[in-house]
Amino acid sequence: MEEKRHILGTFDEALRSLRENVLMMASLTERNLNHAIAGLLQRDDELCALSIADDAEIDELEKQIDKDGIDVLLRFQPVASDLRRVVSAIKMNSNLERVADQAVSIGRRARKLNQHPPLQEIELIDPMHRHAVAMLRDSVDAYMREDAALAREIKPRDKALDEMNSNAGRTLTERMGDNPEQLRGYLNLMFIARCLERVGDHATNIAEDAVYAVAAEDIRHMHKKPAIEEQHSPEV
Amino acid sequence: MIETLPAMQTTRVRTVDFMQPLTDQPQPDAPAFGVKNLSMWYGAKEAIKNVTIDVPAKRVTAIIGPSGCGKSTFLRCLNRMHELVPRTRVEGEVLFAGQNLYSPDVDPAMIRRRIGMVFQKSNPFPTMSIAENVLVGLKLNGVRDRNLLNERLEKSLRMAALWSEVKDDLRKPGISLSGGQQQRLCIARAIAIEPEVLLMDEPASALDPIATMKIEELITELKANYTIVIVTHNMQQASRCSDFTAFFYMGALIEFANTAKIFSNPTRRQTEDYITGRFG
Repeated sequence: MEEKRHILGTFDEALRSLRENVLMMASLTERNLNHAIAGLLQRDDELCALSIADDAEIDELEKQIDKDGIDVLLRFQPVASDLRRVVSAIKMNSNLERVADQAVSIGRRARKLNQHPPLQEIELIDPMHRHAVAMLRDSVDAYMREDAALAREIKPRDKALDEMNSNAGRTLTERMGDNPEQLRGYLNLMFIARCLERVGDHATNIAEDAVYAVAAEDIRHMHKKPAIEEQHSPEV
Repeated sequence: MIETLPAMQTTRVRTVDFMQPLTDQPQPDAPAFGVKNLSMWYGAKEAIKNVTIDVPAKRVTAIIGPSGCGKSTFLRCLNRMHELVPRTRVEGEVLFAGQNLYSPDVDPAMIRRRIGMVFQKSNPFPTMSIAENVLVGLKLNGVRDRNLLNERLEKSLRMAALWSEVKDDLRKPGISLSGGQQQRLCIARAIAIEPEVLLMDEPASALDPIATMKIEELITELKANYTIVIVTHNMQQASRCSDFTAFFYMGALIEFANTAKIFSNPTRRQTEDYITGRFG
């Protein structure tokens, strides 16, 4: 349904500006992640350095979005869907900044790996990267387009990424036994795989916030409920 | 006649368990008012259109909506105050303590004793002192016992959070108080006769932010003993101090639910548009 205009044009403008900055943050974060992984796959230290150096820009934008979000809450005291949009934007902002931090970690580990002969197991990383970036892009898209159906698809996709990370961990552990002199390199790859798995977690968080913004539904921690009930259930 | 109205059912005061979400709809037990298919006309103009709502007891219910939507008219229908306006007509029922307030054998004056009202503009009687203002209702009802009057004076002023500010000036004129104090004096006057319900028609709209907060705090405290229905244009006020909110538009009740639900995820599009400022 078409969104009616707010009586206060300044509110629509402030919300639009906030959402545009979140989109900018998402673009910069994805770019940094891509630079870090390209630095690894192409053995390009320049790209690794770029992913690390550009994090400062994202940190500044994070602070700006938080400030703008608080300003909107303070000035307009939004309610209902407006409130959910602003709160979700602030939470997304935090998740995106953490994705950028993962890019920095990957960039640093990639630089270390680039100092040594290439490892064939690097091929484990590329599909994980593509999967994680697709999740990130779709979760941000779901928020921007207010598409709850797309947002709900993200969580199951995170399971696939977790599985890829587990498989990579198993393979690399085996390789460590076979080839102990490359132990440090394998550990760095395991660390990078773990970073990408965390990117998937942040994308899932963003998707959950998108569902909350659109449908006012809190879908977080749903899978944990039975465990909690079990924990507190009286002994029979 | 008061005799025809059965005594109000005693309602247990609930303690709020913050771990348990409030239900979306008012609790079904012991509503203070059961309004059924209420319509009301000013002459030929239908101001209230077929409204059905259960107003929960010992809770604060806020009524919101744009100007002219019928919220003040609805409030006045709850104690028949609209009858003071010529050419008004009502259809439907307002059940209070199991009795239809519009039954021919119900005395409107007695209804207003049990269902008190506080208006937008504070209106202490200008020639009366602070104490006389508080006690006027009791005296009009024939209470002469000095001890009882003194006791009720202090109790009412304490409940209205005004005692500490006026206890040494009880003989001063009521209108010598500040706007916020005058409004609390009117609340003390309303509760001095120990009604069961307080109807408040924009009680803080003419007050500064500090006086407004004092009234809101008072409302929160009073709900332990009273059913409160408050009409307000201030949606932050409704979200802060009410448990349930009803949204009216063009005389019709559009949505009635838990206040948290109304202000976070209303069901009806009209409600969402109104509270987010996308209306008209």
